[in-house]
Amino acid sequence: MPSSSEPLLRTRNLTKHFPGVTALKGVDFDLRPGEVHALCGENGAGKSTLIKILSGIHPNGSYEGEIQIEGEPASFASVRDAERAGLAVIYQELALIPEMSAAENIFLGQEPTRAGFVDWDRVYREARRLLDRFGIALDPRVRVEELGVGQQQLVEIAKALAKDSRILILDEPTAALSEHEIEVLLEIIRDLRRRGIACIYISHKLDEVFAIADRISVLRDGENVATFEARQVDHDEIIRHMVGREISELFPKHAASPGEVLLSVRDLCVAEYKGARLRLDGIALDVRAGEVVGLGGLMGAGRSELLLHLFGAWGQRESGEVRLCGSALTDCRPPEAIRRGLVLVSEDRKRFGLVPEQPVGFNLSLSSLARLSRGGWIAADEEARCNHRFFESLGIRAPSLDTPVAHLSGGNQQKVVLGKALMTEPRVVILDEPTRGIDVGAKVEVYELINQLVAQGLGVLIASSELPELMGIADRIVMLTNGRIGGTFSCAEATQERLLAAAMGHT
Amino acid sequence: MGRMGLRDFSMLLAWVVIVVYFASAEATFLSSRNLAQLAIELSITAVLALGMLLIILPGHIDLSVGSGLGLMGGLAAVLVFHLGWPAPLALVVATGVSVLVYAGMGIFIARERIPAFIITLGGLLVFKGLHWLVIENSTVPVSAGGTTNLYSLLTTYYLPPFAGFALAGGMLALLVVLRIRSYRRRRAGGYGVEDAEMVFLRLLFAGQLILLFVLVMNRYQGVPISALLLGAVAVTVHLITQHTPFGRYLYAIGGNEEAAVISGIPIRRVVIGAFGIMGVIVALSGFLQTAYAGASTTTTGQLMELDAIAACVIGGTSLKGGRGSVIGVLFGALIMATLLNGMTLLAISPESKLIARGLVLSLAVWMDVRLSRTSGPVTLTR
Repeated sequence: MPSSSEPLLRTRNLTKHFPGVTALKGVDFDLRPGEVHALCGENGAGKSTLIKILSGIHPNGSYEGEIQIEGEPASFASVRDAERAGLAVIYQELALIPEMSAAENIFLGQEPTRAGFVDWDRVYREARRLLDRFGIALDPRVRVEELGVGQQQLVEIAKALAKDSRILILDEPTAALSEHEIEVLLEIIRDLRRRGIACIYISHKLDEVFAIADRISVLRDGENVATFEARQVDHDEIIRHMVGREISELFPKHAASPGEVLLSVRDLCVAEYKGARLRLDGIALDVRAGEVVGLGGLMGAGRSELLLHLFGAWGQRESGEVRLCGSALTDCRPPEAIRRGLVLVSEDRKRFGLVPEQPVGFNLSLSSLARLSRGGWIAADEEARCNHRFFESLGIRAPSLDTPVAHLSGGNQQKVVLGKALMTEPRVVILDEPTRGIDVGAKVEVYELINQLVAQGLGVLIASSELPELMGIADRIVMLTNGRIGGTFSCAEATQERLLAAAMGHT
Repeated sequence: MGRMGLRDFSMLLAWVVIVVYFASAEATFLSSRNLAQLAIELSITAVLALGMLLIILPGHIDLSVGSGLGLMGGLAAVLVFHLGWPAPLALVVATGVSVLVYAGMGIFIARERIPAFIITLGGLLVFKGLHWLVIENSTVPVSAGGTTNLYSLLTTYYLPPFAGFALAGGMLALLVVLRIRSYRRRRAGGYGVEDAEMVFLRLLFAGQLILLFVLVMNRYQGVPISALLLGAVAVTVHLITQHTPFGRYLYAIGGNEEAAVISGIPIRRVVIGAFGIMGVIVALSGFLQTAYAGASTTTTGQLMELDAIAACVIGGTSLKGGRGSVIGVLFGALIMATLLNGMTLLAISPESKLIARGLVLSLAVWMDVRLSRTSGPVTLTR
């Protein structure tokens, strides 16, 4: 065992560039043996990037700087390399195979064999021993799909321990857990700490962070802005460091002159499918003509779910009402929503926004073809004119409308997705994280576009995980917490501290 | 569309190699009679492959079409030969049945989300069984002995020579008009356009091909009516895929289904529609294939689904969906039809023919996988 003065893991000057964005700027970070070191920061602060480098997902050579394990330089070309060095990541989205037993999952990929066949007795015996040793109360024979999320989390941890991991990285491990499950998990982490296993613990829940962490580092804009001993710091100090920045002239402000209510939501309760747990509970909000309503909340609070449900692409409505321009939207699917003047720009433009192989023009007009057709045929002249107009007015930088949209930069791809939505001539535009992963210049263009839209009398509902963005662009801000409304703020009332408190359920 | 890539070039080269090989191995390969037969065989393979394109574009597959076309051809033959129905009525009724059956499969695939692979594999067996039931395991001719009807004429009627020339002229004129219109529109809409010289060269090339085809066909009995049908199907499928919202949606669904949902595309209706059109095409190729053999037998249509899929893949259609074109599929079908025709002519044993077909299909898919390997941000190594 190394002396406690020597860190188990250390990063020096870690820097990672993505096209148009620098995600990490010279991060120094260290982890001592038998320590729980929490990482805090807003979404987009660089936590995920840091983890992806440590776990070998961003391989050696794709970043600058150095990783050291016990003082020796380490370079991981793959996830396997990182695992061999004793690093294991437990992701928010669990990587278990639901149809297999806990023990099978724990030894997946390293099954003990005898004469070439899996030695099932040993699999179950060793799984039992492993679970007992770390005080995890779980039957190794039970199938993972029959376990709750909390217990699945424990299976993941056991899986990591079976690989002799010395460093566990837990990425938002409690996002989907109940109070009791969280208690069990924290107890197990404390136990692991006593056995010399070090943890990097990432969570938005500060109560939890203070309950478990020995030290706390705050990332902001890709930099490690401060590292504290947990005993010497409090909630407010951490939040202040997370927020940190001033709202600059990044946000061109428009004069709000709200008109009639375009979109109205009352007592909305939605589950993923009929009879499942409510993921949205008692949501009420209005979007008026000429108004930008911001929707905030932490990861997993239900922002994307709410927006997708309004658009008719997600969930089963258990109760409540949605009205668009006065008439009810019930059982409405996206084609009808678009016909009636509601359009969504999704957060994940690669997954939900673009047909990457197809050209810019194809993507721009995709949602408007019904309107651009005469008697079943696409009116080619009109389509070309429309495409050309949006291509020019949005300032899409691409060689031509024929360029496959996959060849464009993130910001220009985002403009194509926006153009596609706006070409449908909507009354209400729903934007989910419209500026994620695009550079500052493109962000400002998006904000200016939003201002133009409201100036034309459209209603805009925008979700963002960046509080400064919400405060800069929105006339009113609705914060969600755990599927409920945590607070509604006017532009004047909103401070980052108050918004964050509402998002965390403190009011 | 239309740009000559490395892939198109290697396809053309492969075809030329095949033709040269068969022509040197068997002199009758280039006889006018064999070329006319090749034209008919190509028409059948290509019509079916064009239907398959509409299924593969949104990322599905149809393994049932071989036995499906056997069933539809057999059904029409029974109606004509045993029940004495007029041929046109029999063809229309069998087509209607086909559309219903295939749209029904489409409903299962689109609404119930059962993989097309499984549903159509089931269809393969069910249709084969039904086919044998309908023809009672016997040979059912498409017309009463010695007579001709619309059904038998599908592969025995040839356009008189002057009509062939008139057709060639008409097609060329149409091509020129369409080309010029699209050229003007693209320039006005801010799209990239080719040089006018390039457009002219292309048209000249296409014109020569058409004329050559008519000349060769006229050396035998004229342009076969089935080639005309193929032309009609090809133009229709081209118009559908390039000039209707439905066609764009096929590409969008295959390219990124989730984005298609969020873009407000009625996914289910589109997929069901594609299978409905496949119904028409299955019936048509069933009539052609049965008429070509003169009668429906228990083996009519056997394995033709694989030729159709191979034609699509050889022609650059991605089995993942979202990529493929009519011209590519026509080329793929030409390669498949030429291979089959040549092997038959060389009296290659059925065993070797099966093996060759299998190898060509596997090779084509392998090529597709190699060529369409994406360079996304994260490509998992398996």
